[in-house]
Amino acid sequence: MLELDNVSVRFGGLTAVDSVTLKVGSHDVIGLVGANGAGKTTLFNAISGLVRPTSGSIRFEGRDIMATPMYQRARLGLGRTFQIPQPMHELTVRENLVVAQRFGTGKVDMRKIDEILDFTSLADKAQRDAASELALTELKALEVAKALATNPKLLLLDEVLAGLETNGKRRFMGMLKDLHAAFGVGIVMIEHDIETISNLCQRVAVLNFGRLIADGTPDAVFRDPAVIESYTGAAHA
Amino acid sequence: MKRSTLISTAGLLLAAYVAVPLALGGNQYVMSMVVAALIIGGVAMSWALLGNLGGMVSFGHAAFFGVGAYVSALTTVKLGLPVFAAMLLGGAGAAIAAVIMLPVLRLRGPYFALAILAYAHIFRILATEWSSVTGGAGGINNIPTLPTVFGVDLASKTGAYLVVLTLVVACALAYSRIRASHYGIALRAMHDSEDATRVVGVNSTLLKGAMLLVSAFMAGLFGAFNAHYINFLEPDYAFNSLWVTLPIVAAIFGGYRTILGPVLGAVVVYLVDQLIFKSLIPTGHQLVLGVLLVAMIVFSPNGLLPLLQKWLKKTVAKEKTHA
Repeated sequence: MLELDNVSVRFGGLTAVDSVTLKVGSHDVIGLVGANGAGKTTLFNAISGLVRPTSGSIRFEGRDIMATPMYQRARLGLGRTFQIPQPMHELTVRENLVVAQRFGTGKVDMRKIDEILDFTSLADKAQRDAASELALTELKALEVAKALATNPKLLLLDEVLAGLETNGKRRFMGMLKDLHAAFGVGIVMIEHDIETISNLCQRVAVLNFGRLIADGTPDAVFRDPAVIESYTGAAHA
Repeated sequence: MKRSTLISTAGLLLAAYVAVPLALGGNQYVMSMVVAALIIGGVAMSWALLGNLGGMVSFGHAAFFGVGAYVSALTTVKLGLPVFAAMLLGGAGAAIAAVIMLPVLRLRGPYFALAILAYAHIFRILATEWSSVTGGAGGINNIPTLPTVFGVDLASKTGAYLVVLTLVVACALAYSRIRASHYGIALRAMHDSEDATRVVGVNSTLLKGAMLLVSAFMAGLFGAFNAHYINFLEPDYAFNSLWVTLPIVAAIFGGYRTILGPVLGAVVVYLVDQLIFKSLIPTGHQLVLGVLLVAMIVFSPNGLLPLLQKWLKKTVAKEKTHA
């Protein structure tokens, strides 16, 4: 569904993403890991259209989307969340979803929105002001809910679990587990916690200084010496 | 619409269309002040629409006002078009002028404000230098007056009042429809983060561009009305920066995030200034406006209309507990 071919993103002299080639199928649930600064979020930004790759090509469902603006990619079925939640200000939770659905899919279907609100445990917060009246867990849930409202085929989740307390994390894990089955979306998730990844993903891709150094099942990848070195080396530095 | 708002809207319309002409219609001077206030109020509403829905601060609305005035004046004088059709063309002309400004939308905040100000000057220069069409610095005389419709002379002060009032009402209706639509909700959402809306499929640049065109159309409409109301145009008058500064003061004073706040602000600010302060302090009376504006920003940053609404709600609540 998504094909990255030799994608590089350079900021001046810094190569944030270095010749990454990666294929994501419509039923994949992939974990994207790597130390801080490894280029994970930049890769997401390149896929979703927030930054333009310096070279390489990105295809989504067979079509080249390199020149496609971000809002168009969302309409094509590329959903994403931001690590720092970006709720739409001045709107309620429900209005956030209505805007996402209306512009992401072209029409409004309140039943589907209720379904998403239930799924993300936001049903009783629907009338709250999204920017000022939600706790962090709820803001993170809203990120996922907004992306789901655009009816995505592929969902890029950027550290949705980071910063949550244990309880919130457990609830969220349950939700993420069902996400693929309930909405039929392919998922690529950036996550630091190896246990989480092993739990949720059938496949793991590892970035190190912008380069893809491993891509395989969690068992194989987390036993790979190069991965262990990059991971623990950076984590303990 | 809720019943209470429906009733208050109907009351407001009745007062504006019937009570005001009956009470003030005999006084030509006051009536002309009211018309001028509504013209400024209309431009203020168009300015506030761009700020409220598009998140843009424009110093260029004098250009839209002037272009609307010139297009409407020229199409009646040179082509003999009927006044009302020409006024619509004036609005359209202002919107076309805004199309030329669209590249400016890439800029943000103060950069946008400055760029649109510079753009606005182009049109003033155009009106001055392109004298074969515009009459140059000498301006245009004998612009056709508003016609007589159903026996009502719309060129009279009261007639002009009814026309400009109708324009204000029509623009307010259009504004409220836009604001309540999905586009309006998305536009509100764009205020703080455009990326947050883009990532869910909102073409934010297109929406902002559309608001600029709507806002320009409205400002142009009031410019066109003014041209036929005073029957004379010259570049320094039609593109005067007062056509943007007064509306900004009015909009901020009245509450730029509400639909009718800017109109209320214009009526209050302009009438108080012209009818009271001007007679007390013949020169430099605008100073008082500055003081009023600062006071409003300090004590009620949301403006006059939200302040009144809050006060009204409180009073109603008090009445209820007493009853």
